[in-house]
Amino acid sequence: MLTRADLAKYPFLNEATDYLRTLGVSVNDISSAGYEPILERAESRLQEALAKGIVSGDFLDEKVEILSFPVSNLLLVLTGEDRARRRYALAESKRAYELLRHEPPEKLEHIASTSFGWKIRRTNYQQDNRVFDFQVGIVDYLSNSVKLKEPRWKLVNRILDAGYVYTTRDEAARLLEEEIRERIFTRTGPKSSLPDIPDSLEVVLESVKTAITKYLGAPAQYELPRTAMPKAMPPCIQHLIKELDVGKNVQHMGRFTLASFLVNIGSEEEEIVRLFKPASDFSERMTRYQVEHIAGKRGGGTKYTCPMCTTLKTHGVCYKPDELCSTIRNPLSYYKRKARNLSKEIKGA
Amino acid sequence: MNAAESVVRQRFQEFYMNVRSPLFLPNGAPQREYGFLLFKEKFMVRHRSFKTSEAVIQAIRDLVPKHVYYSTAYYANPTAPMDEKGWSGADLVFDIDADHLETPCKKIHDTWTCKQCGNAGRGTAIKPCPKCKSEKIEEETWLCEQCLQQAKEETLKLLEKLTTIGPDVGIEPGNVKVFFSGHRGYHVHVISKDLSVLTEDGRKEIVDYVLGLGFDPDSHLKIKRVSSFTDPGIFGTTQVIAGPRAEDPGWRGKIAMGVYEDKSLTESDRDKFLERPGWSLLGSTKSKSVLVKAADRWTAFIDTVVTTDTHRLIRLPGTLNGHTGLLAASVKLENLDDFDPFVEAVAFKRKMKIHVKEAPAFKLGGEKLGPFHNESVEVPEAAAILLLCKHRAEPDSK
Repeated sequence: MLTRADLAKYPFLNEATDYLRTLGVSVNDISSAGYEPILERAESRLQEALAKGIVSGDFLDEKVEILSFPVSNLLLVLTGEDRARRRYALAESKRAYELLRHEPPEKLEHIASTSFGWKIRRTNYQQDNRVFDFQVGIVDYLSNSVKLKEPRWKLVNRILDAGYVYTTRDEAARLLEEEIRERIFTRTGPKSSLPDIPDSLEVVLESVKTAITKYLGAPAQYELPRTAMPKAMPPCIQHLIKELDVGKNVQHMGRFTLASFLVNIGSEEEEIVRLFKPASDFSERMTRYQVEHIAGKRGGGTKYTCPMCTTLKTHGVCYKPDELCSTIRNPLSYYKRKARNLSKEIKGA
Repeated sequence: MNAAESVVRQRFQEFYMNVRSPLFLPNGAPQREYGFLLFKEKFMVRHRSFKTSEAVIQAIRDLVPKHVYYSTAYYANPTAPMDEKGWSGADLVFDIDADHLETPCKKIHDTWTCKQCGNAGRGTAIKPCPKCKSEKIEEETWLCEQCLQQAKEETLKLLEKLTTIGPDVGIEPGNVKVFFSGHRGYHVHVISKDLSVLTEDGRKEIVDYVLGLGFDPDSHLKIKRVSSFTDPGIFGTTQVIAGPRAEDPGWRGKIAMGVYEDKSLTESDRDKFLERPGWSLLGSTKSKSVLVKAADRWTAFIDTVVTTDTHRLIRLPGTLNGHTGLLAASVKLENLDDFDPFVEAVAFKRKMKIHVKEAPAFKLGGEKLGPFHNESVEVPEAAAILLLCKHRAEPDSK
């Protein structure tokens, strides 16, 4: 179904991996003569993604296109830089989206079902001015659509039929973009074992590292203020503290949000327990147990993070969001940013 | 454990010893985690797993717990610590609880007491205490016919949505099960292999779809060019507003039909709107508000936290609820309308003497009881246990 030209366009597909296997190339071959173009292309993919957030198509040599992709991935694994991974995954997936949206429906269907295991079928349904080419299985639809914020992606604003969601060709490509981004991000993640790196790759790695610092800045030194800054807390958290303080009954979700927020900004457990004291159903033993649980000192040892803003909206915990709120997706990012701004102001004054 | 609790525990023990019929087991029973909340110091025994109904009842007989739970999730290793359980999916569960409904009768049967000054009153607690301004208020709720009736009506509303709109998202009406919680509400479980793998975000989307939340009128109203070629009723070329039509699949069709219930529209407007280009006749602002109102009429009250939680423990049907002594019972969908929890969930048959501090009039097992005020009485055992569980009575010491 797919040609080698297709694999050059979509080197993250399962078929591309199979193709590489038939070639039988290994990392060490990269240093041999004749492989320079691959190494060059692998670097240019990364350089362009880091500098401009895009990866341009370059289909002169299909083999180079296909082979350079895993080399780019390997280079990223070696840098261990999450910010670069994210940026690269986004750039590659955007490139794929631009190509996918112009593909005939049967090719999109093939890629979605064979490489990503989607339940997908063809249809031809017209409504108003739009043509829906596909029905996508609801689970595959949702696992990607929940990352997209526009209201049109919400199920309630879609046409559904017996567990399938109707999508246009462009929408199917957009959902695949999310799938691709996730795949590339995962593939460039930490590995338990790494091959020995030939010298030629070492040189490229250094230049990629330089580019990361150049375009994304030095790895963030600044994390969080050492003591809690109440002024930097988002409106929802300040509201929860106030409600508890006057003894109002705060629902479970609110309590969990507050405790997980405070645990994550490094508050002392004692302080957190004290905050809950005015609650009418306060039990010190219970509260301490739960705070310790959230902090990862009990149970499975997982430290819980603060729920996302969308979740807080669903459960009615979000309270009078301000301007900064519209730029963040988690109360912790609000705190990080505001704290940074506030401490800059203090230093500046 | 206080005196009331040890009497309740003893009766629970007798009940579980005499259980003859096999206990309800959820599908995929061996992949579920079970949890038991004990009377003693509210201790929770968790991470247990059972393959058969007999094994579960044996564990219950050994522990005599106040509450019995099982996980809505399926795990590869249900007995492992949380991180190593290997989550493979979870049922979709809706919780309808009278706690979240505003019923007028709460003023009659719910009470509160200020722990500081002893001031007391009826209804939902007033905070802070009007007398001493203390925030430490203790609340006592009651389970009453009216509250449970309302919870049942909300459940019926949800079931109607699940059967009419559920098939859109792949919910088969035959795979929807209803359980009475044994206290103040109902649980609705959806068993679906496809949907079980949904993440929390995905579940939230399903809830929003079933309830019509997050509805965006702009996504449903489109400006469209029409001409005499496509629509014979049009002269020349013009722009119209295209929106949901009654024959549209899924939600849009239902919303379109919902417009018929919009009281702010005149009858002729309502008729016009279903004809093309009906939405144009309403104008775009009016169209938006009509759509939003039609969507709002779909909403039902459910506890969103329960539905989006993929690791929740939920009450095992066939066991006793420690808040009431009533049975958590599986209810057939077609019987829900007639289901009377005050008769069908009664688990105890004998009589028992207790000293009641305070209790409103109530009905249980077909008998009218109370009101009681500081008196020793002999009542049906089920009523006695309910009063003991609700801290309204003490065992009669004589």
